[in-house]
Amino acid sequence: MFEIIAVDISGRHRVDDYYLMVCAAVAASVTPDHVEKVNQISIRSFREDSAPDVPMVVRMIEDTVSEIRFEGTIVTEPGDMYNRPQWLIDSMFTMDFKYEESLSERRCMEITHHVSLSARNLLLRELNIR
Amino acid sequence: MKRAILVKRNDPRSEDHDNELRLRELEELAGSAGYTVVSELTQTRHPDPKYQVGSGKVEELAQLVQNVEADKIIFYNQLSTMQVYNISEICRCEVIDKFQLILEIFASRATTHRSKLQVELARLEYELPKARAIVSILKKEERPGFMGLGGYEDSYAQDVKNRIARIKDELRDVDRDRDSLRTFRHSKGFSLVALAGYTNAGKSTLFNMLVDESKTVRNMLFTTLVPTTRSLTVQGREVLLTDTVGFIEDLPHWMVDAFRSTLNEIFFADIVLLVVDSSELVETIHRKLSVSHETMWEQLQEVEIITVFNKADLLTEEELDDRMLNLGYLAPNPVAVSAKTGFGIDALKQEIRRHLPEWDRVQLSLPLSEEGMSTLSWLFDEGVVHNVDYDDSINIDLEARESIISKAKSFTGKKVNQ
Repeated sequence: MFEIIAVDISGRHRVDDYYLMVCAAVAASVTPDHVEKVNQISIRSFREDSAPDVPMVVRMIEDTVSEIRFEGTIVTEPGDMYNRPQWLIDSMFTMDFKYEESLSERRCMEITHHVSLSARNLLLRELNIR
Repeated sequence: MKRAILVKRNDPRSEDHDNELRLRELEELAGSAGYTVVSELTQTRHPDPKYQVGSGKVEELAQLVQNVEADKIIFYNQLSTMQVYNISEICRCEVIDKFQLILEIFASRATTHRSKLQVELARLEYELPKARAIVSILKKEERPGFMGLGGYEDSYAQDVKNRIARIKDELRDVDRDRDSLRTFRHSKGFSLVALAGYTNAGKSTLFNMLVDESKTVRNMLFTTLVPTTRSLTVQGREVLLTDTVGFIEDLPHWMVDAFRSTLNEIFFADIVLLVVDSSELVETIHRKLSVSHETMWEQLQEVEIITVFNKADLLTEEELDDRMLNLGYLAPNPVAVSAKTGFGIDALKQEIRRHLPEWDRVQLSLPLSEEGMSTLSWLFDEGVVHNVDYDDSINIDLEARESIISKAKSFTGKKVNQ
């Protein structure tokens, strides 16, 4: 069994002159092909005036993951890091980092994506934006 | 053997190691298609719209073609029709890209009607976006000016579209028969096991070892284009084992679509044996496992996966353990085997047995009569009879799927213990 924290950010586009982003982190225990247990989910919202760059994305992820009580390797889709090579991104994190590879990591990413997107939609509705 | 030059344009921010592996893969593909690679050329830069690589590099390539007397230039990167035209004009040599190379291999291997249709479909899908450009290039000198070739170009593209539609229809009919056969087999209680994995991992050798057959095995990519299915008994349970076409990196969607029915064998299976060549470099196995996970990701639902580390005879025990440990997070239920020597085949069968869909196990009692005996013989065919006691009646310890058990129960009308 492996411990991972899958992270996804929704809302990287401008709405009402700013960027309202929601970062979700899902800590899970996985085997290579199955998500065995979701241990904890953490969600954080961020409001920025400019489009996020890689350092900003790293900061948002580390902030969100800091609320997770479980240890694990941070997993993201390469696109979230603007397809920069893994070694470069890894060096920017204080925790272990990797891009998604196995079926279980992809499944966990899917869960994370739904969480961040739903949380952002809820936030937009509550704030009466759009 | 035809002589070929390989060309690859690397993206500026890409990793050297990955680029090298991709070039080696292209070399293997070229070898499979019957080419001797006489030279290689790489360049790191953003794509040039006219030639894919830079114009200076094309001049260099033209000189190289002359020096080594190459028959073909094979690009790793996908080329547009104009790029193919421009490069071949300067180099005076036939130019193809990786996908055309794969199509060449497929075309030379396709033997059945269905695989020929699939190859033709893949070729047409590849040609469709280029149809207009092909005509304007071919007729460039005949272009009369005003009005040009508009009508002719349209009709050519339309013709390609019509042929695609016709082949798709025909393939749908062929596949419908296959699907119904697969459903029929499933309903008859056969569990389906599919061999999957990167091309040239030794799937066909393993297939032969498991079913004790002599299917064509060659040290080449894409030896298997048509799925072959044979029955296999695994510790009393009858399963159907299917050998399938190998995966490859960056297969474009139109090619995956063309071979969808072949890949369906994997997606509809109960168990997938994901075969890897464990004698390769750890980085190579790692990348190939990643590609396999990616290929299976979209469609694979609740299928059990067993990772088969094949060619274990080429490694020491420590090396093998090390590899299996390092790649553990990408290798569900790993088993080390050598399809060549037979090492680990029993362990693999045990693993397959462990993951087969569960059957119920019941104690049945049949009357000691001719009818009872014939039912018993039927149960031997349809399930696993663990034990039979002949007393006043026939007491059977039976493992079978639900429908067989209910049929047997309806015959006995009497259940001793469950």
